[in-house]
Amino acid sequence: MTYKPKEITEEVNISKIHPLTNLAQLLGTVVGVSLAIYIALGLAVDAIVPRIPIETEKAIGDSSIASAYLLLGGTPIENDPRISYLQELLNSLQDPEDKIPLTLHFLKSPIVNAAAIPGGHVLVTTAFLDEVKSENELAFVLAHELGHLRNRDGLRGLGRGLVLNLGWSLVFGTSGGGDSSVVGTVINLSSLNYSRSQESAADLSGLNAVIRRYGHGGHSLDLFKRLQDEETDLKVTEYFYSHPFSENRVKKLEKNADKNGWSMQGEKTALPQVFSQ
Amino acid sequence: MEDLIFILSPFFVIGFGYLIGAYFEKQHYESIRKRERQTLHLPVVNYGCKQPLPEAREARLVVGEVVISPDAFKTFVLALRNLVGGRVTVYETLLDRARRESLLRLKEEAIAWGATQVLNVRYETATIGNSSQQGVASLEVIVYGTAIR
Repeated sequence: MTYKPKEITEEVNISKIHPLTNLAQLLGTVVGVSLAIYIALGLAVDAIVPRIPIETEKAIGDSSIASAYLLLGGTPIENDPRISYLQELLNSLQDPEDKIPLTLHFLKSPIVNAAAIPGGHVLVTTAFLDEVKSENELAFVLAHELGHLRNRDGLRGLGRGLVLNLGWSLVFGTSGGGDSSVVGTVINLSSLNYSRSQESAADLSGLNAVIRRYGHGGHSLDLFKRLQDEETDLKVTEYFYSHPFSENRVKKLEKNADKNGWSMQGEKTALPQVFSQ
Repeated sequence: MEDLIFILSPFFVIGFGYLIGAYFEKQHYESIRKRERQTLHLPVVNYGCKQPLPEAREARLVVGEVVISPDAFKTFVLALRNLVGGRVTVYETLLDRARRESLLRLKEEAIAWGATQVLNVRYETATIGNSSQQGVASLEVIVYGTAIR
């Protein structure tokens, strides 16, 4: 038998599918399944969050307070006459039904913002207090944050953030996308952004608390109105970075006040002496 | 903005990996097909233990080796595939290229030596630089046989 060279032209060892089609199919499957899991876990989070005991909420909040300082770019101030005033104001705004003890954290930071962390932690920055002109508007912002605490929006956000973080590390590996702690921070930052419906729920709860304390909602929305006008000011818009801004937020509140028969007119309560120093 | 760039940076790497990787793969296949036609005349034959070997004046060991690495795109697809399971089609070309290239190198060596046949060719594969966390291991294929003339 003589050897007759014969060229093999068919490529049986290579699948005919185009790499990009293959990627699209894979991504479709993975993204679809992850989305389904994400939604399912989100629903699970919504179901579980109202049942979390206060002690657990405190444990979660206490462990994330350090990263909250980082997010607001500040260091806590211990000795400031304003702290006791803020703490008292905060306590007076709490719904009598809420049992969780509140802790106020006063941060020295150039970022204009206030935030609520699970476990009854409310954070306020010095730059934010500089923007405040009356007690009413300060009370509304604090009560708004208390509304988030009440609805446990922070815990919901943490739950989803955790799921997101897990998904990221599954796809890219713990060291895949660079420093995993950075990824974690980015994700936590985005999960601090509450949804629009969560914001309006907190708004309503906040206004309710203000009415309970002052008997009227007058001047409580002044800060918002001012921030709205000064939107070009970068420092001020930082507040809206974590509190999605919608134009009809003020209008919606006034409509709700009208419906509930809350008076939106009333005397302005001045800030105490320590602020003018 | 910086956060966004940070989040998107792996995707830039993957896109870059695809463009460059696909270009090199195309080039490599053109070279493989051309050289396969050029080396077609050399028989590569396996003999069983009870078959008489062909007569030869000289015999020597010929070896072809290839180390080939996946690009970022292939690695990414592999990572996705690891989640759902199934055939990693993007790695098929990688293995195919390594296998054919190594045999080509063996045949070219044999032809340069003046071989009339290559007997009992065997393949070995290995992974090189396999870090346990990431799928960036390179694929090694060694092919060896006995050239006679």
